[in-house]
Amino acid sequence: MNKALRNPLVFILFVLPALALFLIFFIYPIFSSIYYSLTSWNGVSDTVKMTGLKNYEKALGDDRFWISVKNNGWFILFSVFIQVPLIVLFSLLIANVKKLKGLYKTAVFMPSIMSTAVIGILWGFIYEPNIGLFNKLLGLVGIEPVYWLSDERFAMLSILITNAWQWTGFYIVMVLAAILSIPGELDEAAAIDGATGFQRATRITLPLIVPIISVVIMLSIAGAMKAADIVIVMTKGGPAGSTEVMATYMIKYAITNFKYGYGNTIAVLIFVFTLIVTVVYQLLFNRRSERIEY
Amino acid sequence: MPRALRRSLPHAALLGYLLVVLFPFLFVLFSSVKKDNNSIALNPFGIPKEFVFNNYVEAWVNAKISTYFFNSLYISVFASVVSIMLAGMFAFAVTRMRHGRWNILLYSFVLVGMLIPNNALMLPIYTIVRKLHILNTHWALIVPYIANAIPFTVIILAAFMRSLPSEIEEAAVMDGLKAPGIFAKIIVPLTVPAMVTVFIVNFLGNWNEFLLANYFLSNDELRTLPVGMVQFRDQYQMNYAQMSAGIVYSVLPVVIIYAILQEKIIEGVTAGSVKG
Repeated sequence: MNKALRNPLVFILFVLPALALFLIFFIYPIFSSIYYSLTSWNGVSDTVKMTGLKNYEKALGDDRFWISVKNNGWFILFSVFIQVPLIVLFSLLIANVKKLKGLYKTAVFMPSIMSTAVIGILWGFIYEPNIGLFNKLLGLVGIEPVYWLSDERFAMLSILITNAWQWTGFYIVMVLAAILSIPGELDEAAAIDGATGFQRATRITLPLIVPIISVVIMLSIAGAMKAADIVIVMTKGGPAGSTEVMATYMIKYAITNFKYGYGNTIAVLIFVFTLIVTVVYQLLFNRRSERIEY
Repeated sequence: MPRALRRSLPHAALLGYLLVVLFPFLFVLFSSVKKDNNSIALNPFGIPKEFVFNNYVEAWVNAKISTYFFNSLYISVFASVVSIMLAGMFAFAVTRMRHGRWNILLYSFVLVGMLIPNNALMLPIYTIVRKLHILNTHWALIVPYIANAIPFTVIILAAFMRSLPSEIEEAAVMDGLKAPGIFAKIIVPLTVPAMVTVFIVNFLGNWNEFLLANYFLSNDELRTLPVGMVQFRDQYQMNYAQMSAGIVYSVLPVVIIYAILQEKIIEGVTAGSVKG
């Protein structure tokens, strides 16, 4: 009776379009990147000259590349050490209030559905030295205008704050969902035993949401490694290349300067670094990632 | 600590956070009805004394918001719908058809796509698009957007289709339906809830996409909203009141959709976060 569902021709016809797109836009590009990363191709000419590992030597010896790696690192550190504690704090607070829960959840989530480009523009206005919100606020307490996006000391920090503003609420909602799925009896039992709200939050809830915090950190790392549009929109990598990240460095060479081969070298390095960071994180912090059963 | 204080402390902290989230939007909204930079500078925080709506007219004309808006709209809708169709067919074949090992193999293969940092693939995709001679047309965005959404869409739809009981097809086969008929008449109607969720996620992703849209199109008439907005800012950088009106235009549709569909959007986007 299952003949209708065993027809190989129909199976192939159903699978093929999606599979073809997947092969062309995911699998082929990986091999293509690896191949061209070993050449000095400019992206348009007919001749492709193999140069071996020369591009890799060049990238690893380029200070500007390491500045961009460092800036990706700042993205990761900022999310792990500043965003994550705030995420945990605010999701615990929202989970424990009785009123306005829905409002908080809806409002904090909102920035994460907006276009990063538009948020970059919006925050560019907030950071504007003369009439922007930040300097006006600082002016109230008598602090001189700060050139947030054009001062090397503040530009990267300004981008990180904007990025945190956009994504913190998103993770809060994720963690909140995990907290709310913990059975109420656990909390009630602890309350009967005389635990205070603070004790219940730190001794009961927190240990139970460690797995989801780990997911948040993984997602932050993945997001940090591919950050690009926020930098392009807010500073274009400046001032003096101080906010360049790996992806913008790659675009700068490959598309703006026609160093296609070299750009692909950077793409491969982004892959490798992402892999290294992920594996190191998994090995160091995620060994006890068994699922929690209630 | 008195009880009342302990009760209100969390709310104070949360309202503070709410203010941080919402005030930038209010700042832009207020600025958009102020006369010029000078009146923003004189009264940066408050509601303006007189409302100037001319900024909205000027921004609509100068920023060509209508052009960018409809470009974004049709590219995002079209690409999302096509990826759902193709991924739906794929998911149906690997979850409901009886091809044992092939089902598992193909499904796991497409899953690998979730692990690939897609920004890093931008250069080869640029070359592919150029070789297909669709660079600087809307197809240069539509085709990669369709492809890009496939792994995530397959995962969500396959999970949903797997949960449907197999008696459904058995009855359909009895009635003489072939595989395509079962897909179109039985499975698709049942999968609509999951399709709505992935549609929202894909739509938002495409609507907000910036990198490909910025580098694959050079003709101004073809630009999408995020890229058009950045270009508008670069041109009218000195006129913040007008720029604020432009920001309001680009944010407003998303806020309205969000107000209506917030539960569905939150559910979909957080499910989509596996995408990383």
